[in-house]
Amino acid sequence: MEKAEYMKKATQYIVDADEEAVEKLARDYLEDGFDPLEMIEKGLSEGIRKLGDLFDRGEVFLPHLIIASEAMTAAVKILEQAMPADQVGKKLAKVVIGTIEGDVHDIGKGIVATMLRVYGFEVIDLGRDVPIATFVEKAKEVGADVVGSSALMTTTMAGQKALEQALKDAGLRDNLITMLGGAATTEHWAAKIGANFWAESAGDTVMKLKETFS
Amino acid sequence: MGMSIAHGVAAGMGGIRTAGDLVARMQMARKMRINDAKAYVAKKLKISPSDLSDVYVMRDVREELDIGIITSVPGCAKGIEAKARIAQLLDIEIASVNRLKNKINF
Amino acid sequence: MKKHLTRRGDGALIEMTSEEIMSSLEAGTEDAADRGKIAPLSKDDLECLLDIFMDTNRFVSVEQGEEVVVTHDIGTLRLMGDQGNSGVGIPLSRVQGIQVHERAFCSDTMELGHIDYSFKPVKPVIAMEQQEMENALLSTIIPLFYGAMPNLGTYYSPDGPFGNPSDLLPAGKVKEAYEAQEGAVEHAIRDMVYVGEKLAQVGCDGINFDTTGAAGDADFKATLHAVELLKKNTNLSVQVGMAGEFVLGMHGGLEYEGKRLAGLYCNDQVKLAEKAGADIFGPVVNTKPSKDMPWNLSRAVTFVKACVEVSNIPIHVNMGMGVGGSPIFETPPIDSVSRASKAMVKIAKVDGL
Repeated sequence: MEKAEYMKKATQYIVDADEEAVEKLARDYLEDGFDPLEMIEKGLSEGIRKLGDLFDRGEVFLPHLIIASEAMTAAVKILEQAMPADQVGKKLAKVVIGTIEGDVHDIGKGIVATMLRVYGFEVIDLGRDVPIATFVEKAKEVGADVVGSSALMTTTMAGQKALEQALKDAGLRDNLITMLGGAATTEHWAAKIGANFWAESAGDTVMKLKETFS
Repeated sequence: MGMSIAHGVAAGMGGIRTAGDLVARMQMARKMRINDAKAYVAKKLKISPSDLSDVYVMRDVREELDIGIITSVPGCAKGIEAKARIAQLLDIEIASVNRLKNKINF
Repeated sequence: MKKHLTRRGDGALIEMTSEEIMSSLEAGTEDAADRGKIAPLSKDDLECLLDIFMDTNRFVSVEQGEEVVVTHDIGTLRLMGDQGNSGVGIPLSRVQGIQVHERAFCSDTMELGHIDYSFKPVKPVIAMEQQEMENALLSTIIPLFYGAMPNLGTYYSPDGPFGNPSDLLPAGKVKEAYEAQEGAVEHAIRDMVYVGEKLAQVGCDGINFDTTGAAGDADFKATLHAVELLKKNTNLSVQVGMAGEFVLGMHGGLEYEGKRLAGLYCNDQVKLAEKAGADIFGPVVNTKPSKDMPWNLSRAVTFVKACVEVSNIPIHVNMGMGVGGSPIFETPPIDSVSRASKAMVKIAKVDGL
């Protein structure tokens, strides 16, 4: 099979969340001697990107996205066997993410965490109603490159501002990027509190972080 | 100048200042679309649909029918009194009115 | 070239030429048409929208005779709330709040709601809600709803007895996530029917299911079944207000009357609400903060118009903060709010807001 055909099929198998088919394809691809990294970046990732679009439009649903991400993980595992050791398991960046203190909404944040993992980020998901101090401690402990917070209520948004200050007070702010999201938040809010960026959706988050860390 | 007030002023019927509550009751009780609800209420009040949101017309209509007016004039029907008359006027059931009737039916 | 003042989706004031506004209007309606597989707005509709945006008055309104009914959500919390519910913190009782709406704000209808505005937390304090409703009903004239959110999230851990799908799904426990949602549906139906029946007993006029579908397709399913039962067992008027322009597929396999719920847009959502017996339906279209208001409002009107055209019940479009063409700003600017109202009445032909 030609490489282009492999890429096209890989994308489709991820969109279809067909783990068996994409695993076989990955093995066949390697047997034909093609570059594994290229398959991850162009074939499989394109499938996840398309799925993200379909999810945003309400045409595929969360369980399907999860199963597709598992299919991608399985295929990546096979492809990594043919990659140089220094490229294997290499994550783009370390992301600490959580729903801000006082807020229990986490559906959107969970989707962001899943998508970031699939796109090659190491994600430490702190869950919901996360105290500011916990964000700071974890960011310090793991050496986070990114700290992300989600707030769905206008009152819990204030916690995102407090988080910015807490990271400054801990001497961490200059060495990492902060991002925020959640239905109540806007770009204006992110700029106002000094966050690096605001993301409108899971897809937007991935795109902005990939641009930063690729 | 809240958002809900802005919506009410921009597009709302005006509640008991006019006939907003009456039209709302027809939507709720009989699933009437807006024009049908207005036509129904207008017919019951013996006015034209365009008069329903005219406070100049509706103030008199509501006073004459004693179905509640916006200012708190002594003697004018208020609360459940007004609703009892509205139920009769519009030929609909109003649950709180029926409850009161049942309770005072010695 | 002359610039016109308008807003961005987050409420910021911006300037656009008439060509830019029209371009945004066209893009907005095309986005809605593409996603919802519905008709875009006509040229006349777009011209009407353009006129609305080019109007230099701060506040615009519908023409005389075009007025519609306004229903509410959040109850009186907008007045006395001060705990994270966008209220202005005036220490009024809820009955006073309802009276203020009737007599000072000239509301067509009003709603009683609990400070913890979901069905599950209301259940243990239902007697309090009943007595407040009784007092309110005696002293007011306008129809009164009781409002709450189905909020299936309250049935998942840590707040409820079922595992949380937001935790189970990323862990690959898809089957467990399905089971959690299916279990939560049954509990939610039971609670919503219980609350509705208790309020019907005291003479409440109607019940409002607010932000239906916020926790996904299971949330919508629970609501539809609760509506069905309440219409069968009580005289309550039922209003179903949604949470988004499409139903989030947290489960993906749940159906009502043979129709899969995940992914449904407004024009399909309303048909199921009708089937369940709802009297009024409130579609929701979310505002995108990064896009301008012409784009957002054109998009919202497109979705809602399609909903109005297929509906057999009154449509009261949700127009709170960040929905229905209103900016995402805690106190949305009235220039935008009034334009959204006018557009929804004039072009989408809604029966209410």
